[in-house]
Amino acid sequence: MPLHEFECSTCIPERKKHAVDKGPGEDLTSALPEGYLNTIPGSISERGCAYCGAKHVIGTPMKDVIHLSHGPVGCTYDTWQTKRYISDNDNFQLKYTYASDMKEKHIVFGAEKILKQNMIEAFKAFPKIKRMTLYQTCASALIGDDMNAVAQDVMDEMPDVDIFVCNSPGFKGPSQSGGHHTINIAWIKDKVGTVEPKITSDYVINYVGEYNIQGDEVIMQDYFKRMGIQVLSTFTGNGSYDDLRAMHGAHLNVLECARSAEYICNELRVRYGIPRLDIDGFGFEPLSDSLRKVALFFGIEERALQIIKEETARWKPELDWYKERLQGKKICLWPGGSKLWHWAHVIHKEMGLDVVSVYTKFGHQQDMEKGIARCEEGALAIDDPNELETIEAMLKLQPDIIVTGKRPGEVAKKIRVPYLNVHAYHNGPYKGYEGWVRLARDIYNAIYSPIHRLALLDISKDEIPTDKGFATRRMLSDANLNEEIASSSDLRPYTGKYDCLPDYMNHTYPDELRKKPAGDN
Amino acid sequence: MKDRIAQLETYIMKHCLWQFHSRVWDRKRQNEGVLTKTTQILCGEPAAHETLEDRCYWVDAVCLADAFKSRCQWLNEMDKTEIKSLMQELKNRIDYLTIDGSLNKELTDVNY
Ligand code: SF4
Repeated sequence: MPLHEFECSTCIPERKKHAVDKGPGEDLTSALPEGYLNTIPGSISERGCAYCGAKHVIGTPMKDVIHLSHGPVGCTYDTWQTKRYISDNDNFQLKYTYASDMKEKHIVFGAEKILKQNMIEAFKAFPKIKRMTLYQTCASALIGDDMNAVAQDVMDEMPDVDIFVCNSPGFKGPSQSGGHHTINIAWIKDKVGTVEPKITSDYVINYVGEYNIQGDEVIMQDYFKRMGIQVLSTFTGNGSYDDLRAMHGAHLNVLECARSAEYICNELRVRYGIPRLDIDGFGFEPLSDSLRKVALFFGIEERALQIIKEETARWKPELDWYKERLQGKKICLWPGGSKLWHWAHVIHKEMGLDVVSVYTKFGHQQDMEKGIARCEEGALAIDDPNELETIEAMLKLQPDIIVTGKRPGEVAKKIRVPYLNVHAYHNGPYKGYEGWVRLARDIYNAIYSPIHRLALLDISKDEIPTDKGFATRRMLSDANLNEEIASSSDLRPYTGKYDCLPDYMNHTYPDELRKKPAGDN
Repeated sequence: MKDRIAQLETYIMKHCLWQFHSRVWDRKRQNEGVLTKTTQILCGEPAAHETLEDRCYWVDAVCLADAFKSRCQWLNEMDKTEIKSLMQELKNRIDYLTIDGSLNKELTDVNY
């Protein structure tokens, strides 16, 4: 096994098994790091806790719900409340955050009373919202408050409300991934099947593992609706609580982030016989294959082919404009979980970037299998890296850009590596054909930003050139580009709008597409 | 033969996701479901797709067969028997990479 030992981690020998180099001829039977294990003491992990995974990744994107944490305010506020999973109800779930505000005295005397009081207060403050999710934290789990009993009490007093309880305290698992699992299973157990589905099409899917980061789900919904397909529920971005209670009414589960949501798909298959189709919503070719598969399932392939043709014609010249300018640039693909494999191959193929490293904070070995299988030879694969390791990797690999989350991203900036936020996104959406071009545009803007030329100069020792004027991105990116490509009229940079979502949301879809043609079974 | 299998294997590993479910039993079912139907399609034989479950395997198989045919011209010159033995070898290889030779320790976990 081509293990990779970081110099900074020689004092933590267990870390050695968490990084491998994908060398020539290596495959999954010889190169796979450990994964989803408890963080090793002494290694300062960048992972989130299991409460965070349940609430901030999966629970909170549900849009018409009061999401209340039973614990100290710090749990809900200091974790990931700022993730940009927007919704079409004025971002209700993002604008407000709730905690039962546990303090020391509640640890001694119990916090069920204050929990009930705060739940009722929250419902009264937002009288139009009739749904609530309740999340356990370390503090409330350790004192053993019976949240289910309190929830039942409130539902008895307020018969028009429905409450979902998620018992996933921070310590329940090595990382946020433990929370993904818990909430998936709790939702199918407690809520799916409790509302009758409202079926409006002969073609019905659940879109699962999609969190509507900066509107990803809006773009994908548009493609499905253009094919006449009803998205009965989205688990959970822009998803509605009651729609998600009716997931059992779909014909097919279309699964995007298998890391966070394969559990509910597997359960839907076992309990309701709904099959699971794993797809990629990123990248022209994988997305086209995915749309085609969903359409084939319903016998409407030509509708997908039409969308693929139109979208490719519209956006490919823009993608290729960036590809020409990003060719051979080195990228560290360091998202949290599933994007490492969604992007590992296609970002190389369609944007010309060389993936020099993949990492995951909370992924399992399964995610690394997909990532290592897809990335090119020579990449360094790291599981749950600590900050010193990421710095060492960046200094050694000299990437032109890293794509990651906010915490490691800020570290990268300090050592002057351009970084793009691919958790909450910079200027998403990044899914769909247009989204993929927006990602290419953001990567291009980051790599060629003139600020990085200036930032590399150290005024305390470097000579500062005074004979050079300003530079623009275009001057930097086109300096060594072949003239024919630089001035090609077939290619162009992104021409979409700053906010591209309203156009998608204003589309109308012909009703007849939702009915199977007569004679079709 | 080895060379040809490697080409097909690379395509699956870079483009597909169906082979990476989370447990041994799951992966066995997936590999069998998709690759059996792909073989049938490549051989021009009927591949069942009436039930929802069969249909789901079938859509992956249709796309895989198309990709194989368009990228590997040599496939179009093979007869049915040759295709069947090639696909059996490919399945053995995918089973090895994703199940029998896999280093993924979660594959045998009884819970998921
Ligand atoms: S680990 Fe526990 S205390 Fe910390 S944020 Fe998570 S739930 Fe709260």
